[in-house]
Amino acid sequence: MATVQTQTATHQALDLYACHECDLLIRLPDQYDARKKLVCPRCHHTITSGHRNPIDSVIALSVTGIIVLLIAGSFPFLSFATQGQSRTITLFQASTELYLQGFDLLALLVFCFIVSLPFLYLFLLLAILVPIKFNWRRSQPIFMGRLISFLLPWSMSEVFLIGVLVALIKVVAMADIVLGVSFWAYVCFAPIFTYVVSVVDVHRLWHWIEHGR
Amino acid sequence: MAADKSLRQFPPNSAASHALASCPLCHKVNSVHRKSCSRCGARLHLRTPNSVQVTLSFVLTALLLYIPANIFPIMSTELLGDDSPSTIVGGVVLFLEHGSYFVALVIFTASVIIPVAKILAIFWLCHATTRKTPLRHYELTRLYRLTEFVGKWSMIDVFVVAILVALIQVQGLMAIHPGIAANAFAGVVILTMIGAQQFDVRLIWDKQRLP
Ligand SMILES: [Zn+2]
Repeated sequence: MATVQTQTATHQALDLYACHECDLLIRLPDQYDARKKLVCPRCHHTITSGHRNPIDSVIALSVTGIIVLLIAGSFPFLSFATQGQSRTITLFQASTELYLQGFDLLALLVFCFIVSLPFLYLFLLLAILVPIKFNWRRSQPIFMGRLISFLLPWSMSEVFLIGVLVALIKVVAMADIVLGVSFWAYVCFAPIFTYVVSVVDVHRLWHWIEHGR
Repeated sequence: MAADKSLRQFPPNSAASHALASCPLCHKVNSVHRKSCSRCGARLHLRTPNSVQVTLSFVLTALLLYIPANIFPIMSTELLGDDSPSTIVGGVVLFLEHGSYFVALVIFTASVIIPVAKILAIFWLCHATTRKTPLRHYELTRLYRLTEFVGKWSMIDVFVVAILVALIQVQGLMAIHPGIAANAFAGVVILTMIGAQQFDVRLIWDKQRLP
């Protein structure tokens, strides 16, 4: 953990930071170091988590996450068989069946929470990081950064996974359940996504956007 | 230093008392005299405007919506033409009767304990910002972090309904339909999440060493 000093006098706003939770004025270390974890000395708010190689890790995991999510979208999710009848659903039917039953708004929300917002989040991260990784000249991707901040609270892949498990416990006694490829893909996706989110904190994200490294 | 008298109401070690405003979106420190953040362009304020009032209005709406979410059925099971609706609490009782105590506990925690505790916690935080007595800043901040963290976990029950509705559709035998409480409950979760986002924790820390 880096030493973080309380700032009292100067107004060079370059390496000054105001704790987002307690507004303590802090002087950050002069040199940005992705490996150092920074914590507010007063309220212990984590300003940024330490990571040895965040750019490469996030790119690799985002690509993996997107591939896994595409697999989850193109194979059967669950099958259900009872008394000679069977039914197989895809991941998207968790949303579309609600729509068919007249719950349009809820269907849209579920679709956003479990598929489209997590996908968009990873896609935007790649759009920000890949040009940085390969040193392509470009303007600061401000808009993408803002969009990411708005998306983040509404991505609920890990919550959905627990919801699926609870639903399975409910039906497993009354029928034969087959877990499809898509199910296992989503089981992989949720932890990958959660890990990426934990690496990309606000401080790190905007350092990337501002300095391109 | 900006000679604004209004800045003196903030504690001396705060960014606000140094005429600096932290950007709500990218956390960059800006001069209070700027209207928007020099890095990301978000609108700047020393503190979220009307934070407590806005938070309270979202959470009160959520509280009202929590009533229909519990009264009306969240889903109904159609078995051989017979419809049996079940509420959130009814679903928990059903799991208990089947002996699935762990699942009953998960659903009860996600659908009853978390939303109610969250609403109470936000009320308590809002109340704390108006109190004259010294505050336990650190404990209240941790309460806020917990409130923000658990927010989306209440969505579990809505996702359970979504999966059951999609999966269990056996022609002429059995089908599960969503109930209007699913809409209401999703509304409760979303409103409490927005309410928590609108609450500015820094208000808690502003209440120290008042003259
Ligand atoms: Zn702090």
